[in-house]
Formats: sequence, structure tokens, C-alpha cells
Amino acid sequence: MIDTKILDAAVSDLRNILRDGLVATDIWDRTAGLSLAGYNQQPVAVALFTRITQELESSLVDSSFPPLARYYLLDMEGNHTAVVVNHGTLLQGMLVDNKRANLGILIAVAIPRMLESVARAKLR
Amino acid sequence: MGRSVSWTEPEKLAALLASVAPPRPAALVPLVPAMGAMRAAGGARARTAAVTPPAPAPPAPKKVTPRLVQTSDNPSDRLDALVGWTLDHQPCTGAFVADDNGLTLAAHGISEAHVALVGPLLSALVAVRAIPGIDASRGALWLGTNMMSWVETRTERGGFCLGAVGREALSIEALDELRDALDTTVRGL
Repeated sequence: MIDTKILDAAVSDLRNILRDGLVATDIWDRTAGLSLAGYNQQPVAVALFTRITQELESSLVDSSFPPLARYYLLDMEGNHTAVVVNHGTLLQGMLVDNKRANLGILIAVAIPRMLESVARAKLR
Repeated sequence: MGRSVSWTEPEKLAALLASVAPPRPAALVPLVPAMGAMRAAGGARARTAAVTPPAPAPPAPKKVTPRLVQTSDNPSDRLDALVGWTLDHQPCTGAFVADDNGLTLAAHGISEAHVALVGPLLSALVAVRAIPGIDASRGALWLGTNMMSWVETRTERGGFCLGAVGREALSIEALDELRDALDTTVRGL
């Protein structure tokens, strides 16, 4: 059972940290494909990154590479960075404006805080 | 009654000491002649300029650096406040905060390329810290035209580094101040 209030608070915290650098984010159950919390939610992106993440994970296993750990990043056109955070049974996608968001704060502060918050939400 | 062990021959003792003692300095000439000496001079107003050595100047008051006080919970604001405090209170032209991979969290007056040096620097120090008694959580690195002084602290989220760039390396007291300010800041990250 997941505490969605904690997820909402975590999204709010993320917006506070990244400010106008955060364009959109969703936290979803990767099996159901259902978004549990988010900001400027993007259902199409949820489906897309569920599939991309599954393909990435199976390819890593098939290639005898180490498995996916906490997150991966995609550098995209238009000063955008897509971040997919692996919360185990949940996934989180973020679209970040990399001209407005500090990459160091994203990786060293925002992502670790999200990982802790979602872990707490899953414990409930 | 036999001689006591505490008994000494003063003359022999004095001769022994004189053979090993350093030469006595010449007797100091008083700068201010005694009043009797002046009267003996026949009342002539042979006034030597009474040179009184000037009293030593009081030591300059030691500059006290105010402690950094963080007033915001927002990580970006806290990091910017830390960089601002460093620039205001330390002899430096640039300051930065980085994670232990060398990613810039906040910076002013230094390029991200230079900040990125922190990554390999801290990685290299992992082996150094394995030596018992070696802390290696602060130091200085010559960049070619400037000196980068840095301190590191670790939290459960990883390592963070505060650096300052200037003409010279910061003193140990300044590095203590940087470390204190960094700890205050990352506690809330």
C-alpha cells in the first residue's frame, strides 16, 4: 500500500528544489501504468518510459551488464533532460529544463531526496 | 662523620659552571641616567635625549569571521548563501560547492571545468585516507594562476566540497571556518 500523500509532498518538495527548472514529473506503478502523483502530468510519457525502461533493463541483463541502479538521464533537444528514477515497483519520470535547473543539485540533492521519500511512501 | 651527598665545594662548582656557561652579555647601559649621576655631572644641563623606547603598539584586533546562519530550507538558497558567505568573508575571488563527483551545485567566479577537478581529486584521496591518522578532508591545489583551497564533508547522501579560489592558500583557521559553514549548509540538504 502506497501513501500517496507522501508522494504528493515529495513532488511538491521537488518543485521547491528545482523551481522553474522542473517542466513535468510523474510517479507511477510500472505494472499498472497508473500515475500516482505528479506535476504537469504526461500520460503518454508514462507509457513511453515504462516501455523504454523495460527494454533497457532486459537488454542489460541479456548483455550481462550490471543492472540499472537508481536512475538514467537522456539529453534531449531544446535544452531538455529527461530523468527516469527507478523506485523498484514504481518509476518516476522528470522533464527538466537544463538551462534553469542545476544538474548538480538534481543529481546530488533532488534525486536522493525523491528516492528517500518514495521509499517512505512504499513502507506505509 | 662522612661528607653528606648534598655537600659541595662552592669554588669547584663555580669553576665548573664557568667552564660551561655561555659568556655573560655586556652590562646593559641604562637609557635613563640615574638622578645621582646627573648631579655628579656638576649641574650642567648635559641633557642626553632621554630616549624612552616607545611603548609597543597594541596588537591589531583579530578579525572575527561571523558564522554562517542559514535561514532557508531551500537547497538552492542554502548553497547560494554559502557561496556568498565565502566570498564575503574569505580572501578569495571565487567560490563553489560541488558534490564528490565534481558536479557544481553552486559557484561564482570559477568555471565548472575547474570545479570538476574536485571529482578526481576526492577520488584520489580515498586511498590516502586509508592510511591511519591521515584525514585529508581539506587542502589546497595550485591551478596554475590561482590556488584552490577546499574542504570536504560527508553526509548520508554523499560527499560535498566547498572550495575557494584566490592568490594564496587559506589558513587552517579559515579552512575550519569553511568546514563549519559547509556542515551547517549540507545538514539541511
